[in-house]
Amino acid sequence: MTDQQHDSQDIDLQEEAGAKFHRGSALSVFHSDRAEDFIALLAAMLIALGVYIMV
Amino acid sequence: MVYTKKHPALLIMGIIFVAIAYLTESGGMSSMVDYLKAGKYAGEMVGMGYAFGAIAIIVGLWHLVGSHSEGNLDYYLSAVAGAIFILLLAMLVRWYLAPLVAVISKGLGPVMGAKYLHEVLGLNYVVLGILAGIITVNVFRIPVWAENGVRLSRLGLKTGVILLGTLYSLAELQSLGKLSAIMVGFFVLGSVGLVLFLGKRRNIPSSMGGVLSAGMGVCGVSATVAAAPVVQAKAVEIAYTIGTILIWGVGCMFLFPVVGHMLDLGYIQFGAWAGTGILNSAQVAGAALAYQPDGIETLKVAEIFNITRVLFLPLIVLWLAVWYVKQEGGDDTQKVNVGRVVFEKFPVFVLGFILMFAFSSTGVFAPAQHYKGKYFDNNVKESKLLSDEQVAMVSAEAGKLQRNDRKQAINTMLENRKIMSIDDETLIRGIYNAKIMSKDASKVLKGATKAVRHTAKKISAFRQWITLLFAFGLTGLGMQITFASMKQAGGQPLVIGGVVGTVKAVLSLIVIVLFVKETI
Repeated sequence: MTDQQHDSQDIDLQEEAGAKFHRGSALSVFHSDRAEDFIALLAAMLIALGVYIMV
Repeated sequence: MVYTKKHPALLIMGIIFVAIAYLTESGGMSSMVDYLKAGKYAGEMVGMGYAFGAIAIIVGLWHLVGSHSEGNLDYYLSAVAGAIFILLLAMLVRWYLAPLVAVISKGLGPVMGAKYLHEVLGLNYVVLGILAGIITVNVFRIPVWAENGVRLSRLGLKTGVILLGTLYSLAELQSLGKLSAIMVGFFVLGSVGLVLFLGKRRNIPSSMGGVLSAGMGVCGVSATVAAAPVVQAKAVEIAYTIGTILIWGVGCMFLFPVVGHMLDLGYIQFGAWAGTGILNSAQVAGAALAYQPDGIETLKVAEIFNITRVLFLPLIVLWLAVWYVKQEGGDDTQKVNVGRVVFEKFPVFVLGFILMFAFSSTGVFAPAQHYKGKYFDNNVKESKLLSDEQVAMVSAEAGKLQRNDRKQAINTMLENRKIMSIDDETLIRGIYNAKIMSKDASKVLKGATKAVRHTAKKISAFRQWITLLFAFGLTGLGMQITFASMKQAGGQPLVIGGVVGTVKAVLSLIVIVLFVKETI
């Protein structure tokens, strides 16, 4: 995709059954909400471990 | 598809971070920091500047000179550029822009009682960060190399919510939990019911009413997306709902703090109102931090309400599934698998919050009986003991006390020249909060409680992490609020959403002002 073709208003564009709509402020790099939840849990545990050991 | 762009932006951002850290540490920016009264952020500028700078330079070099091929490593590491882009913007706003706005606002003098313009309008680093994000995406553009990273912002918010679990004591959670279950239960179920009722009256399709009710009642966009399949919502109906929620949610995020300041709401009152009245989870956090940017008491209250609301999601999805099947004249027992719906829609990150609270309650981060991150320990230095003068001053006013337990606590303190137990400390805190004694005597009591209350360093570290994660998440959230997504709103859904949203916000404010006090 070139910069000219690119429009950042489409950052949240989602396609479902052939129709497109803007998903709004709930974007994710992960394939599902549950995967994101588990990664958040892992990140929080790592931060907690770091704080426990280093502070 | 290869996501990593061979672009120097990440490397340049890393150099900027390191330059900020170096100049702050060497005193090269001291005159600017002094002018902005931003000295309290100097530690962050140095620590975060070097840390984020190092990460950005290393990954930036790899982006620029490495060879990239399709795969998970390419996909996830490409997100670092966008994440650093958000962080740089968020930190520039927090360290320089927000202090500059405060300096200018103070120069203009108070505008409403003793409050300055930036305080009334809530123009702090949180609101300015979100605005910076909105301006970036709508006026300029999100660079292609940053797009993947912008999608990481919700991960930051979820991680922040999980870590918030470390900050609550059992007593706080019990009090707030009861209040939130009653408030949220009433308003969530009420909003869903009202949308379904109005939808039927105005003859909108069942699928439209169903998906709009989930969005208006529970937690905005996530609930909309979760409920869409069970009511077989079409893409255009999801678009209408998301547009309505975003217009309403963004408006509330900026309006609620202003109203809160005008009504002089306490932190608990404002947190409860934001957690009940604002639709989208991220915008609840935004409004709470906008109301109290230099502390997280409001955020703690608002998030308990938000989490309670999120916990209603499986229940609402189930309700809608059964309701939709009945509306469409099918057999619900055949079409709705109750267990599966609840399992699939349950927000796992809420379990993380509970898990973190459970860890914290064992005393690994601070003594288990900590209250707001502070814990009781009366092994105090000789210099912190009450002096003869202070003992005499409090003794002279002890007769003002009516309750025997308070009298006993004061007597024990006077005999030992310090507070001897956590129960006594609670009673003595009650005495000075109730202003029973003179100002000077109350000051002595306050000093005595302060001497035996210690801040847990680990809890302070968690507060810093939470602030960072929310600043990151909310600035990134701003970058996802496009005009295009809000333009989707319109027609009957916007009318119904507007009516229900207004009713919920006004009614919940009335209930909170009348019944919720600053006593938790």
